[in-house]
Amino acid sequence: MAQRARPLSPFMHYRWQYTNTLSILHRITGVLLSFGFLLLVYWLAAAAAGADRYAEAVAKLSSPLAQLVLFGAAFAFCYHLLNGIRHLVFDMGHGFELQTARRSGWAVAIGALVLGFIVWLVIRGGMGGVA
Amino acid sequence: MPQFKLPENSRVQPGKTHPAPAGARDVRTFKVYRFDPDSGEKNEVDSTLTFRRSCREGICGSCAMNIDGVNTLACIKATSEIRGDVKIYPLPHMPVIKDLVPDLTNFYAQYASVKPWLQTRTPAPPDRERLQSKDDQEKIDRPSACILCACCSTSCPSYWWNSDRYLGPAALLAAYRWIIDTRDEATGERLDDLEDPFRLYRCHTIMNCAQACPKDLNPAKAIAEIKKMIAERQH
Repeated sequence: MAQRARPLSPFMHYRWQYTNTLSILHRITGVLLSFGFLLLVYWLAAAAAGADRYAEAVAKLSSPLAQLVLFGAAFAFCYHLLNGIRHLVFDMGHGFELQTARRSGWAVAIGALVLGFIVWLVIRGGMGGVA
Repeated sequence: MPQFKLPENSRVQPGKTHPAPAGARDVRTFKVYRFDPDSGEKNEVDSTLTFRRSCREGICGSCAMNIDGVNTLACIKATSEIRGDVKIYPLPHMPVIKDLVPDLTNFYAQYASVKPWLQTRTPAPPDRERLQSKDDQEKIDRPSACILCACCSTSCPSYWWNSDRYLGPAALLAAYRWIIDTRDEATGERLDDLEDPFRLYRCHTIMNCAQACPKDLNPAKAIAEIKKMIAERQH
């Protein structure tokens, strides 16, 4: 009897745990960072192009939407950095106990939010303290 | 390339509902993945749900499946641990033979590829076994407890997307068990075989494997140790 081709079993329903969530977030923030650095280049290029262009750039970057994007970029940077350090520790063979890995994961997530907020404030200050 | 959707022939369709008998108490809803390889031809419904099982105490590894979103052994997973409907699928991202029975051919071949046996060059002592210290035995004690249920490998997104080239946590844990065995004399060759961008280094330390292991083993740590040994021998 001819049989139907074997289907592939479902996998996208796999439960989101701290393990796969933090991992995919590391990938996503890595990709976002490449776009975030375009913003940085834009800002620096504007600064190099003179006072008028710089004022124009700062005005554009001061919109609420741009500020949200900047916060996102700051968070992406901090998350990628902190989780990168977490993975360096993994690569040295430490922190694999499930409880430890869970704690370090939460520390990275919360730390990235806090640090990202601080970096965002610094960026705002750097742009001349736009309120 | 990561893949996020099931192929056309693998999409899950709504199935049949079997209501609880009238007057039943303590009713739980089970949602179970079904696949009948013959139904396209026979046009009849097989009333028996097909799944592997044997020991009913978590030592044979046959009944590994995806329950409530995570891979585990059905025999030691209590329904009382699950809130709401009990959703049961075969091990993720595997070819389905029937219902909850995945095709583990590739998985077993990968296990065999790490040569999971003692390799020696020196002749064995004529009058006794190859001995090792208690401490050395303890090192391989835990990794030897793997029952090859495939819960870890099939929980790993890297394995889902690269199982044709990435060995997966189960095979790598087995490799580690032989690499650190003090009686084994093929450590160098074993590390050579693993030093490959895919076979070993597709592990991105996601740690779904350690999270899923029903025997509380830690393949992620074993893989990290192998990576470390390869890095260290280069100096």
